[in-house]
Amino acid sequence: MSRMPAQSRDLEFRNAAMDVTIAVLHHTEPPRLADAMHKMMGGMPDFFDGEATVLDLGELAAVPDHIDWPGILSLFRRFCLRPVAVQNVPPELLEGLRQTNLAILPEGGLRNHPAPAPAPASAPVQQQLALTPPPPSAQQATTMIIDRPLRTGQQVYAQYSDIVLLCGSSSGAEIIADGCVHCYGPLRGRVLAGGSGNTNARIFTTNFGPEIVSIGGIYKTFEHGVPDSIAGKPVHVRLVTNESGQKLVIEPLRLN
Amino acid sequence: MSKVVVITSGKGGVGKTTTSAAIASGLALRGHKTAVIDFDVGLRNLDLIMGCERRVVYDFVNVIQGDARLSQALIKDKQCENLYILPASQTRDKDALTEEGVEEVIDQLRQMDFEFIVCDSPAGIEHGAVMALTFADEAIITTNPEVSSVRDSDRIIGILQSKSRRAQKGDEPVKEHLLITRYSPRRVAEGEMLSYQDVQELLRIPLIGVIPESEAVLQASNQGMPAIHLKGSDVAEAYADVVARFLEEGSNEEVLAKRPLRFVDYEKPGLIKRIFGGK
Ligand SMILES: Nc1ncnc2c1ncn2[C@@H]1O[C@H](COP(=O)(O)OP(=O)(O)O)[C@@H](O)[C@H]1O
Ligand SMILES: [Mg+2]
Repeated sequence: MSRMPAQSRDLEFRNAAMDVTIAVLHHTEPPRLADAMHKMMGGMPDFFDGEATVLDLGELAAVPDHIDWPGILSLFRRFCLRPVAVQNVPPELLEGLRQTNLAILPEGGLRNHPAPAPAPASAPVQQQLALTPPPPSAQQATTMIIDRPLRTGQQVYAQYSDIVLLCGSSSGAEIIADGCVHCYGPLRGRVLAGGSGNTNARIFTTNFGPEIVSIGGIYKTFEHGVPDSIAGKPVHVRLVTNESGQKLVIEPLRLN
Repeated sequence: MSKVVVITSGKGGVGKTTTSAAIASGLALRGHKTAVIDFDVGLRNLDLIMGCERRVVYDFVNVIQGDARLSQALIKDKQCENLYILPASQTRDKDALTEEGVEEVIDQLRQMDFEFIVCDSPAGIEHGAVMALTFADEAIITTNPEVSSVRDSDRIIGILQSKSRRAQKGDEPVKEHLLITRYSPRRVAEGEMLSYQDVQELLRIPLIGVIPESEAVLQASNQGMPAIHLKGSDVAEAYADVVARFLEEGSNEEVLAKRPLRFVDYEKPGLIKRIFGGK
């Protein structure tokens, strides 16, 4: 038997950043959540793919006496999400979390908006700007541009930036941008703008035909096809907040 | 300079092997020295459709594994002077096609001055299909006018753009052509099938031709004769058009303007035909 090269320690710990999905729960009754998830994901129970998920309890409509954790966890798993931790837990609920094996993240939890990556070293400039807002990082300034059609099964992620699709996308492709999505040509597949919670992001296309659109985590699915009034048309999608909550608004885009 | 052309689709049963046989024969009929390789290890349909199954002694895998020389395995076509077939083996070992082995065989074919090397891809998006497209200069994406076939073609185009040598080396991308096969203008008119315009709009690559659905294809393959040899049939003419367009220079619009699509319109049968049937 061969042995691994001798290492000084049997175990090492390293720090790493991990992409997680944050699920902000406004309610905790499993049937109600099941209904909401079903509506969001429409005919696509495989929309997620085993992503690690942090359940955020900081925005509950009311703090319940009891939470059916086994029910909630099984519901998330059914939609291919893997709850690993909870955050912003009201103190009353800590006790009930004991048996769940979920990690309880410290005060504040994970931020929805990823911190901008450090800008390339340019210390003097940074000092000089110390009193003004931090400069946009290199990544923020760079828009991702895709010159070829994005095909079924292909996925792009524009981290911290907008994405421009110059040749459109196919159904079964996945486009995720932390910023806006701009598409010249048919926009099909799954289209997620404001990927890390930016509710001001928008989606623009000259030819609308996706299976699902999302801005800042608010979804709309088109499992029965896009309505004729907007199918194939220039369209603009944004998220509006009013007294009845948040809602995706899809409007025609005038091109001239 | 040799050109490697992959006939691919993602989905099975759409007409790749039929097309590989027809296009390879068509190129040879026009005087180009052509080899056609069956990448469908285990199924080996190409030699049946080319009518050379009884002459197979050595195959592609034998050459890769060094059990035979390429010249021993190449079978000369019985109808076309310039056409050679490299059959697939019966082995169940799908990994027998190694990337180095395939590259070596294609390099040797180049040295033998083959102008066109046509690769008949197996279905799917697994190893065999990837091997068939790895060395391609051009790709004929064979698609039936139905949603699942279009979806699979779209996926294989994505793979072509990521896994081909040209993509990996950052060279000029593989030139893509859309070929729609098993097209029935009647079923399109009746709304049972996607139209060729729909398919092209979904896939957005240049259209090289439309091959009608025809019973003649089955008859031809039973006789071990590539469909392009069926004199006077729609399929033979449609495939001949495809070969001509493939060899033509110019933009897709120019090529299609010069040689317009045929057999794509549905004419309602007239009264006489409806009463008496037949031609
Ligand atoms: N234009 C056509 N009209 C009718 N039948 C066809 C046509 N093209 C192919 N076929 C039939 O479809 C089946 C699959 O064809 P084949 O070329 O073996 O597909 P693939 O190689 O993609 O699996 C065969 O039975 C063949 O005879
Ligand atoms: Mg085949």
